[in-house]
Amino acid sequence: MTVATQPSGSNVERGGSGSGSLADVVELILDKGLVIDVFVRVSLVGIEILTIDARIVVASVDTFLRFAEATNRLDLYGKGKGGKDLTELTQGIMEGGAKGKTSGVLDAAADKVEELIGGRDDAPDDEPEERAERPRRRPRQRVRERAE
Amino acid sequence: MTATYVYGLVAAGTRLPDGLTGLGPTGEVRTVEHDRLAAIVGDVPEDRPLGTRADLLAHEAVVDTVARETTVLPMRFPAVIDDTGLVDELMAPHQDQFLAVLAELEGAVQYTLRARYEQEVLLREVLEDDEEIRELDAQLRELPQDAGYNERIRLGELIVAALDERSAVDADDIEARLQPYAQRVSRSPAPQPDEVITAAFLVPRDQTAAFEEAVEKLGADTRDWLRLRLLGPLAPYDFVAGS
Repeated sequence: MTVATQPSGSNVERGGSGSGSLADVVELILDKGLVIDVFVRVSLVGIEILTIDARIVVASVDTFLRFAEATNRLDLYGKGKGGKDLTELTQGIMEGGAKGKTSGVLDAAADKVEELIGGRDDAPDDEPEERAERPRRRPRQRVRERAE
Repeated sequence: MTATYVYGLVAAGTRLPDGLTGLGPTGEVRTVEHDRLAAIVGDVPEDRPLGTRADLLAHEAVVDTVARETTVLPMRFPAVIDDTGLVDELMAPHQDQFLAVLAELEGAVQYTLRARYEQEVLLREVLEDDEEIRELDAQLRELPQDAGYNERIRLGELIVAALDERSAVDADDIEARLQPYAQRVSRSPAPQPDEVITAAFLVPRDQTAAFEEAVEKLGADTRDWLRLRLLGPLAPYDFVAGS
């Protein structure tokens, strides 16, 4: 993985500045930056349309179903209540599956562009998303609660 | 006529960093000056359309490598112009405008921060907080996978709405924590319900260490429920006018 240079002890993934991540670059340069009407919009193999398509994901039926599925697969009673039983172990495996399935729109965008422009030739890994650690329960202390 | 690729614009007299490789067949990157402005240019492949992975990466690498040292106005990919028009059509007629934007951005770099929820943690929280969602979820757990289509959509809809409500607050919170280190902030719409914020921060060069530290602190404080990804320092992509 060339992308996520994460200093030890850091909780922030780093990228950009020639890190070679197509997902990052697509986001940065395809619809940002100076545009002057004198430029020739050279043929682009349809990249822009696809990228815009991948970026703007509306709340669709598909999205709803994915989140419903991910929720259904949560292990509701196992966490933090001590002792693992078989159900919990099985559910844990299922959660893993659901998580992989429902994360990563940037990856999706990059994949889409990759598909179109012909693959990962020099193939730096574009998937900075997955972290090794499992999420833990967090203490709830946020602005939201002050607002309530 | 020869086509010229334009990566971006800098002040005249800027010395480009060594080792830049452009997207054209020669890979050359050089500047063309006009009065007080300089364009960072290179050649263009003539036997194929632009838009490969390598093209995109080369454009970004050139612009952001320059941006590490100098203020640069990045062009939107792909910017190609007939070389006879480079000065007459691009630089000369717009010089004042370009110089004004360069002056405005002088001494600052962009960072782009993306924050996304640890999905499982947030879904759990949504379930705990919302009785309707909890009941619907419980009902659906009893049904076979292919049953209850409409109820599943309804459940998803409620969850997405709950996530949106949370992320609106959390996004403001994140912005408020980092805003003191930035001259300007530009937010992009979050494309997925579990994405909290994508925002560009224009940070003075002498504040970058403090900004990065603040992001690290934010990451440490939210490590159980947020995943942060920080890009930069970058050219000020989000702070140059569209046209």
